[in-house]
Amino acid sequence: MTDDRYAEAPESILVEATHNAIRDLARRKLAESGGDWTGLVQGTSLTRSEVEGVERRLLGSGYRFAWSSTLSLRDRPEIYASAGGALDDATFSFRHPAAIIAPADEAGREQKGVGDNVVQFAANVMGTALYVRTSDKVLQLMREGVGKDTIAIIDDSGGTLTAPILSQFVAVICAGGTVRSHLGILTREYGIPCLMNAKLSDIRSGDRIELETSALARPVETYQTGVEVPARIWKLP
Amino acid sequence: MTQEDKKFSYVQLLETNNLIQYVADESYWLCLTRTVQESKLYPVSAYILLSYLNAFYRYPELLRKIETRMKAEDIADRSRAMGVKLQASQMTWCLPAFYLLGRELLLSYGLLRPQDAVEDIVYVMDFWKRFQLSWQRNNGHLSNAQAGHRAQILPDRTLEVFCADLFHCQPGDRLHQAAHAFMASASQYAFLASCESRINLTNSGPYRIDAHHELLVRDFMDMAECSLPWLDGVAAKVPFNNFTVTMSVRDCHFHLIDDWGSFEANPTFTADKLAGVGLYVSDPLSDGYIPYGMGSVTELAETFEALNETLKEATNELWMRMAAWSRDQLLDAGALTYFTTAKELAHVAGVFDVSDWLEIDPRADCFRPLLNDEYGNVALAELVGKLTLPSQQRSPFTMAKFADRPVSMCTPIPYSILSGDDYIPSTGPIQAGGSSLPPKADRYRTTRGTLTLSEYNALAREHVPETCTDPYRFLCETWVKYNGHTPLADRLYQLEQRHSRTLRGRGTNPRGQ
Repeated sequence: MTDDRYAEAPESILVEATHNAIRDLARRKLAESGGDWTGLVQGTSLTRSEVEGVERRLLGSGYRFAWSSTLSLRDRPEIYASAGGALDDATFSFRHPAAIIAPADEAGREQKGVGDNVVQFAANVMGTALYVRTSDKVLQLMREGVGKDTIAIIDDSGGTLTAPILSQFVAVICAGGTVRSHLGILTREYGIPCLMNAKLSDIRSGDRIELETSALARPVETYQTGVEVPARIWKLP
Repeated sequence: MTQEDKKFSYVQLLETNNLIQYVADESYWLCLTRTVQESKLYPVSAYILLSYLNAFYRYPELLRKIETRMKAEDIADRSRAMGVKLQASQMTWCLPAFYLLGRELLLSYGLLRPQDAVEDIVYVMDFWKRFQLSWQRNNGHLSNAQAGHRAQILPDRTLEVFCADLFHCQPGDRLHQAAHAFMASASQYAFLASCESRINLTNSGPYRIDAHHELLVRDFMDMAECSLPWLDGVAAKVPFNNFTVTMSVRDCHFHLIDDWGSFEANPTFTADKLAGVGLYVSDPLSDGYIPYGMGSVTELAETFEALNETLKEATNELWMRMAAWSRDQLLDAGALTYFTTAKELAHVAGVFDVSDWLEIDPRADCFRPLLNDEYGNVALAELVGKLTLPSQQRSPFTMAKFADRPVSMCTPIPYSILSGDDYIPSTGPIQAGGSSLPPKADRYRTTRGTLTLSEYNALAREHVPETCTDPYRFLCETWVKYNGHTPLADRLYQLEQRHSRTLRGRGTNPRGQ
């Protein structure tokens, strides 16, 4: 970066390593062309196999990429870090360090987390927790149907994974996103109570839970100011 | 390149850099406040980066091709009379931002210098400016953000029809339930059809109806068999490609409509605040908004109910199709969804070509091996959220708008090229590309039936909306203010009222007084 007075390295080591590798390639191509930038600017200098070499070198170091799409993992498991079986584990529970928990209250409800309420409803909602984390799970629910008081727990703030079945949930907890993520927008459109950006601990599929959907909806500006507006999540006795 | 050969002036560079900085600032605000997006189905960040690269290499030539048939400002004039993908976000943000972010990524790769592709950059930003100024000519702004996050696009004559033809509804009645269910299903389907993006949805307005009611115009676009190939077959039963829902909302103020077409309301908009509704279809061949199912309350409720069922079925079929795709297919579909955000320009001009819009250019595809999920997520976060790529750093004295740090999302063009610094003027012609998706079937659902692409392009080239012909084209809102009593104004209003249930033939005297 000596040719850039203000440059600092990218924050991510992976981005830095990847970009440095491409910049090395670019410098080599420029030297080969006698300093003529035309081929680089017009995109005709680099070849796909040379860029594949960058990936090979990263993987050759033993590094494995974190995945976010389960279909990426399905297609090229050799380049991604293992899912560790958690996706299909019937006893799985999120254990977010930031989850706010509390002992049982007088009604026996144990607080097991918090989330950002998308829309303030008149009352809380109760139902049975069900983790929905893969397209295979969605397919199963399309075949077998969604239970009548199912509260989906989803770690995907997108609107596509659960598209065929979203309208059948009585409520949704999402472990990511904001109240304006696609899933937040869609649940608002459907009128389904939803807590986004949830931090949970020790809630498993089959547990009876209650969501504080009567809490204030989190204003979108608070994501800038950092002011938390938590709605509670309880495990019921 | 000698000084004499240069195709731009100092003033053009000043203006281009102003537009670049404007896009950079607003993009940062949008990305910071509007979303945290991820998907277990789609490799979203990776496809976004691929789309940026494709946009950088292809947009300049595709926009020039479009302008051989029709100027940007002329397309925008037509676009105000249809609810198609030429609004916010598609044109107001996506077109310049995707192009500039592709450039920024390549700067970070060391494959460009800030002065390279300058003729392309000046042209793309000028195209965008001309389109936007024309699109927003009724409020005189460049974007929704510049208008105070408001999208007041439509002329008085269109709004008069929209408001007069609304059917009133209230929570619990059949129309209310049907309209609410349709908007939820249509939103769900639109997110899926656009591969986990907001690009097939937009909102504009609000427009004041009275002290207690505002009008929001909601568009659901590219819903039928259209130029998105993955809708072939699954969307065969969707009767029109673009649906516009006009919505009167009670005691709820839409205080923000951003350049992504998303809204914020106070109090939060929920279905119980829906007080009136209308439904229209339109496209580049429709000559304005055509009411759909608007003969009576019952007909409209039935229409919403039927559409709701059709869209649910299409959602399930499309989801099954996408869940069986390979990652490369997901990557291509997502990248093409983003890249084709501006494709409606080519449909309006009658020059749409599958090889232009539905292929990944090999110069962009070259980077596919880098685009694993993790790199996609962290690189996109640095590019549009953290602004931590080396090219985005500025003098330590800088306090950037919104970010308050010495950063900027996009790099300006250095003026030193005017005094002799060398540069490469363009990225050159697009190259034959490809995609891993099945080829597009030659079927396009329009308001004039299902057409082949050749038929669609031919009709688009012939079609001139009547309000875009003489003597109507330049009869703007200021002209109407001072000439509302004239026969010409009356004819202009009657054109808009051709399909109106309540105002047909009333002209500038809508109450028939």
